[in-house]
Amino acid sequence: MMKIGIPRGLLYYNYQTFIDSFFYELGCEIIYSENTNKTILDNGVKYCVDEACLPIKVFHGHVYSLREKSDMIFIPRIMRLYKNEFICPKFCGLPEMVKNSIPNLPPVIQDTLYADSKTVLKKWAFSIGEKITNDRRKIENAFSISLKKHKDSKKGIRDKNYKINVALSGHPYNIYDNFLNMNVIKKLNRLNVGVITEEKLNEEYINRQVLNLYKKPFWTFARNTYGFTTYLAENSLVDGIIYISSFACGIDSVVIELIKDRIGNFPFLILKIDEHTGEAGFDTRIEAFVDMIERRKGIEDNISASW
Amino acid sequence: MKITFPHLGNVYFAAKALFDELGIEYVVPPLSNKEALEIGTLYSPEEICLPFKIMIGNYIKSIENGADTIIITGSCGPCRFGEYCELQMNILKKLNKNVDFIVMDVPSDIGIKEIFNRVGKISSNSSKSKKEKIKALVKALKIINMIDEIEADAHYIAGYEKNSGDSKRLLNKCKRDAINSKSADEMINILSEYKRKINFIEIDKERKPLKIAIIGEIYTIIEPFSNLYIEDKLMDYGVSSKRTLSPSWWVKNTALSPLKINSLDIKKASKRYLSLCIGGHARECVGEAVIAKNEGFDGAIQIFPMGCMPEIVSKAILPTVSKDLNIPIMSLIVDEMTGEAGYITRIEAFIDLLERRRKSVLFRS
Repeated sequence: MMKIGIPRGLLYYNYQTFIDSFFYELGCEIIYSENTNKTILDNGVKYCVDEACLPIKVFHGHVYSLREKSDMIFIPRIMRLYKNEFICPKFCGLPEMVKNSIPNLPPVIQDTLYADSKTVLKKWAFSIGEKITNDRRKIENAFSISLKKHKDSKKGIRDKNYKINVALSGHPYNIYDNFLNMNVIKKLNRLNVGVITEEKLNEEYINRQVLNLYKKPFWTFARNTYGFTTYLAENSLVDGIIYISSFACGIDSVVIELIKDRIGNFPFLILKIDEHTGEAGFDTRIEAFVDMIERRKGIEDNISASW
Repeated sequence: MKITFPHLGNVYFAAKALFDELGIEYVVPPLSNKEALEIGTLYSPEEICLPFKIMIGNYIKSIENGADTIIITGSCGPCRFGEYCELQMNILKKLNKNVDFIVMDVPSDIGIKEIFNRVGKISSNSSKSKKEKIKALVKALKIINMIDEIEADAHYIAGYEKNSGDSKRLLNKCKRDAINSKSADEMINILSEYKRKINFIEIDKERKPLKIAIIGEIYTIIEPFSNLYIEDKLMDYGVSSKRTLSPSWWVKNTALSPLKINSLDIKKASKRYLSLCIGGHARECVGEAVIAKNEGFDGAIQIFPMGCMPEIVSKAILPTVSKDLNIPIMSLIVDEMTGEAGYITRIEAFIDLLERRRKSVLFRS
């Protein structure tokens, strides 16, 4: 049985269900990389080009850990997810970055994906499937099952029963990789803060928010994050926004400015992460932000003794 | 309406000629300098790339000189440049600068009607007839081609000249004279004169100078201030340098790209390493490195602003190109914090390395 290595990084967090089920139905043995940990991060930093952002480095680490265990590694080149939109130049060149940075890699599945129509998506699935099996019906079957599973899967987080709620925004791989963001969701929950993520907001609202911009954002991440945060802020559906951004992220450097311009004085915390981020400072900032929101809402209960 | 535009290498020559011919008022911003960068850094978002900051500096200096309309080109991704206009509008609005932006996007992204609309905004200010307007445009294109050619020649001849500094002096004088001209025709005459003159620089054909290709992100390699005048430095060292990307290249490339026949040689050269356009000029960067080797260059220097997304991809690929083809490639990353001393040290070390590879330290004192 062919062993397919799947790095748990970047957009795997979005398309987990599809990817898992597709290769399972094709009859492959799936080898996952471990959840991000110190070794993976260190290897990523070691092999990846220095200037790349943290998620890309971590992805390199994941691929490195799979290098000797699998017959093929799945590193799709995802060009776009929606019509006339891109993700990020680094995604477009991801297979090249990885292959030129990590020595002795097994063959890489790097088919180019423009996922803006179902036909193209299907063609892409077939070109991958054909590397694994000659049975076209099997591929067809695997494709339709996984697509259905993907559509049925529940994505996103929406906490209930918290006094304070914040919108947690940023790229999915920063929000869902608990090692990179140092368990920010748990930390917030522990401080009695509920979290809502962008998948829970209907796309219609997101697209309507974007209409106000002079130029339609051409990055999918930008459109989602901008629409999500500004909609929630303008309609006061949350008490604050926390934006997890990786250092030197080109998209965030633009989106954060656009959001700031739109929401004015609405509480907005930007948490930058990179491979040097220290947890203590991270905690302090989150706590200070929560304190600030509590004061705004007049529900602070832990007034210091010196008062 | 008083038009201004951000600097990009020699574009200001063509722009001056064009607006002169059209009879439209314009302001050429002072050449990018420390002051422009300081202003830009003060008002720009911290993590945005260097070109953005210098451009903001250009605008503000022009606005101080009376400009009220800014023309920039646009793009629709995936590089950050496409979002510049929106952020820059917001910044200038916050600074209470009352300016109009005219963004020249590609027709395929905003529709042909909108592009005519935007061009119309500019040309309606000109009292000239349609024929004269087209003539003006043709002259401007001619000028940008000429000045780019002269510059490229000077950079190349610098390695061969008998009296060191000749070509640099000639190039500087040419630029000074050209910008002081009164009309497009006069400028064309001056440029043709210098084009002739540059062939009369005394050269030593026997000499085998080091040849270095300058590759990387288009703004930082074309706008001399942003790369700390690397080409001037190379000329001083007696190194021949070549840079494919230039404003005239960009015009040609953009015009041909709908037909997909733009820069075929670069596409072919980069095919093995990066077969797709991933935004910015990453593919061009990789392709030029390959071409540099094929043309017998000793090395290549890649320059890009800190955080540039497409060039980070090409930086990851270049070591493989370097290893496969046996050509040294150095990456220099620039931002507002770049210190000149460290920068020079790296360039000098790179040149030393190239000289030693030839097993003879050449003619530098």
